[in-house]
Amino acid sequence: MSYVRTSFWPTNDRCGALMLPEGTRDVLPPEWSQRESLRQKLSAYFTASGYHGVDVPTLEHQNPLHPQDSRAFKLTDRDGSVLSLRSEFTTAIQDLAQRRFALGPFPLRLQYAGRLWLRAQASELGRLREFTQVGVELLGVRGPRADAELLHVALGALRAVDVEAQLEIGHPGFVDGLLEDHHITGQARQALHRAVDRKSGPDLTAALQEHHLPAKLGTLLHAVMDLYGGFEVLEQAAQLPLGQRARAALSELQGASQHFGAPLLFDLSMSRRYDYYTGFTFRAYVAGHAQQVLGGGRYGGRAEGAQADSSQLEGAGFAIGLERLAHIAALCPSPSAEAVLALGEAGVRLAHAQGLIAERAWTDDPAALLNYAQARHITRVASGAALLPLSLDTLARWAKEQA
Amino acid sequence: MSPDTLSTTLTLALPKGRIFEEAVDLLKRAGLPLYIPEKSRALRHSMNGVQVLELRNQDVPVYVDLGVADAGVVGKDVLAESGRGIYEPVDLKFSACHLSLIRERGAAGPIHRVASKYPRLTREYLQQRGISAEVVKLSGNIELACLTGLADAVVDLVQTGSTLRANNLEELDIVLHSTARLVVNRTALKLKREQLRPLISRLREII
Repeated sequence: MSYVRTSFWPTNDRCGALMLPEGTRDVLPPEWSQRESLRQKLSAYFTASGYHGVDVPTLEHQNPLHPQDSRAFKLTDRDGSVLSLRSEFTTAIQDLAQRRFALGPFPLRLQYAGRLWLRAQASELGRLREFTQVGVELLGVRGPRADAELLHVALGALRAVDVEAQLEIGHPGFVDGLLEDHHITGQARQALHRAVDRKSGPDLTAALQEHHLPAKLGTLLHAVMDLYGGFEVLEQAAQLPLGQRARAALSELQGASQHFGAPLLFDLSMSRRYDYYTGFTFRAYVAGHAQQVLGGGRYGGRAEGAQADSSQLEGAGFAIGLERLAHIAALCPSPSAEAVLALGEAGVRLAHAQGLIAERAWTDDPAALLNYAQARHITRVASGAALLPLSLDTLARWAKEQA
Repeated sequence: MSPDTLSTTLTLALPKGRIFEEAVDLLKRAGLPLYIPEKSRALRHSMNGVQVLELRNQDVPVYVDLGVADAGVVGKDVLAESGRGIYEPVDLKFSACHLSLIRERGAAGPIHRVASKYPRLTREYLQQRGISAEVVKLSGNIELACLTGLADAVVDLVQTGSTLRANNLEELDIVLHSTARLVVNRTALKLKREQLRPLISRLREII
């Protein structure tokens, strides 16, 4: 059925003058309904888990402290002040919670769905500059049960759309804690984080040399880059010489994993956005797809032993990239209802009563209606109280009655 | 799900030419069932269950980042120029060369324009040095840009230095040291770790 629809909406490549901005795209009928169905199933799953839907404005006041500020689109307001186009949901939801639910009750469970914009994305599939995310935030609580809840909700939501994924968890505070223990600061800290996150042995060696750092630290960080895989990773990590912060990060991961109670992947060298996340981070991999379909983590509040902005509401959450999800789920299209040509409102009511799609006759010209219905692969007509096979006779008889 | 979704077939991206043979040799010694294929026009080789893609070296990071290949071999110069955040676990130590800032011998005037096959690395280098020069991307015979006055300096690969000497050019500064690297797709390392983890550790042992 969905292939029939595809052929009815041919792509028009004679529209050079109507080019879209780079990294944006149209969504055409069969894909639109697939996306809508995915979004509804995810949202229904979140609702069934107690997450209440909210919407936040697309326009935001520009804030240099916003985690995506350098990549957000900017606009000028009437008074000359700068606005940003929404570039991330977590911060917006966090702000909303502080504005509207400052006193709780906590935990506060919120869900959202909507578009985001980033200036600096490569325009490859799944890296659009305008894209859609569906996600949840669990605000005002911290602890292994809250972490495990998010992992369960993440996996459950993906299962609700028939996507089997593998979750991987990590903790940027683990690597950052190790670096702090060795009194690494400034540019050296950034360079080491970058190398470790990219599991680049050569870059790590070069950075250690450039900043004249001890070989002992090098051995430790090289070992950390290999700490990925199953539960055994946590046991291996516990054998390393760890300071208080790294050990706290490790025990948070152990706690989350124990409460989750099912197999997880671990990667202790994941340290991307270590200055933003204050707890665990996680992502979902789907075999055969290079880009992760879901990502999230814990932010705000006070991480164990770290300096954090205490005015920020603590929480954790995740977002699912709808474009990437649609790409993965596209391989198993769901059938949609049959469409019929409805002659008059009685015909529409009849079609709807039978769960069919009713397309209203827009003209009295029987030939035009027949042409359209054939191009659209419509085979039946809903006329008054009856469903009839499509034929010029039926259409002509109805047209005569109208006259 | 596509047919290769659940399979454990490994796909490797290797650059054409001399690096190809050295990479195949090294990966063979690390335990992969590879061999040098007979001369043919084939772009894709199935070697005892491992799929090998033969690519332009600039394309290796693209194939690996987008997950068409699970892993690959590419020069650090090309990897750094690509700006792609793929895993880079092992320095394979062959195909050594360096990227240098080059000028005509004795040139002393200000640098207003720099030509290179590596515009991203050139820009980064100039920025770090506080030189505000225009960067022009060229595709080959970069030295000619200096000799003809198209540019005041060039950033290019130096292997032996004989081309420089023959053209009265000199190396003023090293921008980047390069050798061949093993690169791995971020998702593949996790989902195909049973094949990739032993490969990485064997490569580390034999180098």
